[in-house]
Amino acid sequence: MTKDPLTKAWIWLVVLSAGSAVVAILVSMGVDRRIAGAMILSLALLKSRTILSQYLGLCNAPFWRRGMNIALAVFCGLVFVLYLVGGTTA
Amino acid sequence: MTQKQSVLDELPGELIMWIFIISELLVFGGGLVAFLSARIVDPVMFAESQDLLHRTGAALNTIVLVTSGFLAAQALSLRKMGERVKARLSLIVAAELGVVFLVIKGVEYADKAAQGIDIETNTFFTLYYLLTGFHALHVVAGVVILLLIAWKDDPENIETGGSFWHMVDLVWVLLFPVIYLLG
Repeated sequence: MTKDPLTKAWIWLVVLSAGSAVVAILVSMGVDRRIAGAMILSLALLKSRTILSQYLGLCNAPFWRRGMNIALAVFCGLVFVLYLVGGTTA
Repeated sequence: MTQKQSVLDELPGELIMWIFIISELLVFGGGLVAFLSARIVDPVMFAESQDLLHRTGAALNTIVLVTSGFLAAQALSLRKMGERVKARLSLIVAAELGVVFLVIKGVEYADKAAQGIDIETNTFFTLYYLLTGFHALHVVAGVVILLLIAWKDDPENIETGGSFWHMVDLVWVLLFPVIYLLG
């Protein structure tokens, strides 16, 4: 297994992306949309955190990494709420 | 005498690039919130329209972009180690993967056009074309930037140009689940 943090980040991103595709298949198979939505957004949050930390180099800037991670988590939370609200009126 | 370090000094690369990245994230974030707000009005139409999208192609494009981002990030490390040829090759392959992303996106657009779907079909497709089209324009700009920094390969240039490309990558990993998956 590689010790290079960049290579690890890339492998992790590919695994997470494959995970998103699997969840999309589960959605079409009728999995509860609230659970599927939470999983899809969790995977997106993990991917964006990895890109910020390893690709954009915020792993060496803890103050900014924390701030960006909080902002992304709030954004994903807002997206999830809007997604659920959109579903309840269907 | 040692000067007190500001938290701004922690940021990797140019401050102006970070201002640009955050501005772009806010623009796309606003677009995605608008998309989901419009979905509240007619969730059935949004779900039916979303089912017409190429989820597999978009998922493949995610892997293409994160791989391209990896090569762009690796190019900076290689350049700092003095491996100029390898760094340039990394950037050129990263740019080629950007072109692959655009080809897959182009196939998706062509398929929609063949089905008679365009930007005026309904609100879903208006927002779909605006958001993915605006992102695709950033990919085009990113490919040009990657080739430019492969040519003018100062580490500062690679870091700044690479940051733009990672921003494009970051926007896509947020755009993809909202537009293609949250049905």
